[in-house]
Amino acid sequence: MVKLAGDIQRSLSSIAKGMRITIKYFFKKPVTQQFPDERWSLPERFRGFVHNDVPRCTACQLCAKACPVDCIYIEMEGKGKEKTMSRFAIDYNKCIWCSLCTEPCPTNCITMSHDYDHSLYKRNRLVYEYVDEPVVPYKIPKEPKKKDEDAASAPAASSATKDEGGEQ
Amino acid sequence: MEFFYAAFKSMGIFAGWPQPLLQGMAMLTIAVIILAGVAVAVMIFSLAERKVAGFMQSRYGPMYVGHWHGILQPIADGIKFLLKEDIAPASADKILWRAAPVVCFTGAFLTFVVLPFGPSFVGAKLDVGLFYAFATSSLVVIGIIMAGWGSNNKWALYGAMRGAAQVVSYEIPLALAVIPVVMTTGSLNLGVITQAQSGWIWQWHVFHPLLLLSFVIYLIASLAEVNRIPFDLPESESELVAGYHTEYTGMKFAFFMLGEYADMFAVAAIAVAVFLGGWNSGVPALDRVIPAPVIFVGKSVLVVFLQMWLRWTLPRLRVDQLMSVCWKVLLPIVLVLLLVFGLLKVLF
Repeated sequence: MVKLAGDIQRSLSSIAKGMRITIKYFFKKPVTQQFPDERWSLPERFRGFVHNDVPRCTACQLCAKACPVDCIYIEMEGKGKEKTMSRFAIDYNKCIWCSLCTEPCPTNCITMSHDYDHSLYKRNRLVYEYVDEPVVPYKIPKEPKKKDEDAASAPAASSATKDEGGEQ
Repeated sequence: MEFFYAAFKSMGIFAGWPQPLLQGMAMLTIAVIILAGVAVAVMIFSLAERKVAGFMQSRYGPMYVGHWHGILQPIADGIKFLLKEDIAPASADKILWRAAPVVCFTGAFLTFVVLPFGPSFVGAKLDVGLFYAFATSSLVVIGIIMAGWGSNNKWALYGAMRGAAQVVSYEIPLALAVIPVVMTTGSLNLGVITQAQSGWIWQWHVFHPLLLLSFVIYLIASLAEVNRIPFDLPESESELVAGYHTEYTGMKFAFFMLGEYADMFAVAAIAVAVFLGGWNSGVPALDRVIPAPVIFVGKSVLVVFLQMWLRWTLPRLRVDQLMSVCWKVLLPIVLVLLLVFGLLKVLF
């Protein structure tokens, strides 16, 4: 009898405790974010879909070589001065969002953007084509040689373009 | 009913019509009004439940349909139910299976006839109103058993057996809990019971110490009666798929939902009429200002909110716990209460 009374008392008090908690949350503002309308502000170095600023691309293929999963495809057409870049594509089926492609770029034209919600119906649509019709690759204007810290980067960039030209 | 009967009788076009026909028409009018009211109430409750659930879990609930906080979500749900394929199990008992949702809903729907929304806003002023209400609301269990048996599905049958055990057991403390009120007022008529609580707020039965206890027992037992969490064992989705309505789709399933929500409102309304003063606001001056149905429905909605609040607070009981709560706790308490109350009535 005493045990029963204790049980009832305990269960009622625990129900009351639970109800206090739920009613407290009932009057609190929900933490839900209405996603497509409100979004998180992304961290500055967030790695979203890769952005390639084609007019500034030198078609040097350094990014393609840096890619650990070989998901960047660059194709060239023509010879010598007629040379054009006919394809710059990234296969996001393979991409691991490592950002290694952005590091060797001589003109910083390939960057990780803040886009992340590209939903698609077909897997093959994940191969993003950046070049519609062949473009003439960007040439880095020749700068007068400097002796300071720029000297390290500028020749590296120009030699990279040269290497790439040799391959074609 | 008397109002509509008198109205029909006074209308010129119905002059000379036989009396039973006019009475039948009055009954039909009441039925249509109640059906429309129940349908609208259920739509509101279904959205309210999702909103309450959402806010208690720190989220919003439906937000898109209707542009403002998902206000049209129940209509979208209704359209979806209508468009769903009506699948019947090949080995189902077709007649029972088809009739079950209707029986379930009818049980809940019939209770509304005696609910006293106001001194004159009542479908039928039955002298056995309270008895009738309990009798009809326990019809639901027949629907549940029909659904469980007719589906020819083990989960459905488990759910139905649990439902039968639970509703039949909890019927006893539920009915016994209101007997003290019947003793005080000397009537089973819900209108008379409400009338006895008119005046100031402390005239309500719930403020009598012994009747408060019977109110609490009534609330607990009524949760079991309408199969709500923490007593929703007939459809406990974590162990029985969906219990007795596992096999149902589309509008048939919607009718079970309709029945459940209508039943929730019905037991809440009975609690209001019997314990919480019915259409009386508790302050005599306010009674003349606020229309009686507004007060009655407002209080009932608060009790429904209490049911939802409990649902989103408590976990589901085990079957043995469910039974022991009924037979070892509620029933002895309510019997002792009945005895003590009866003795007090006799002595004083």
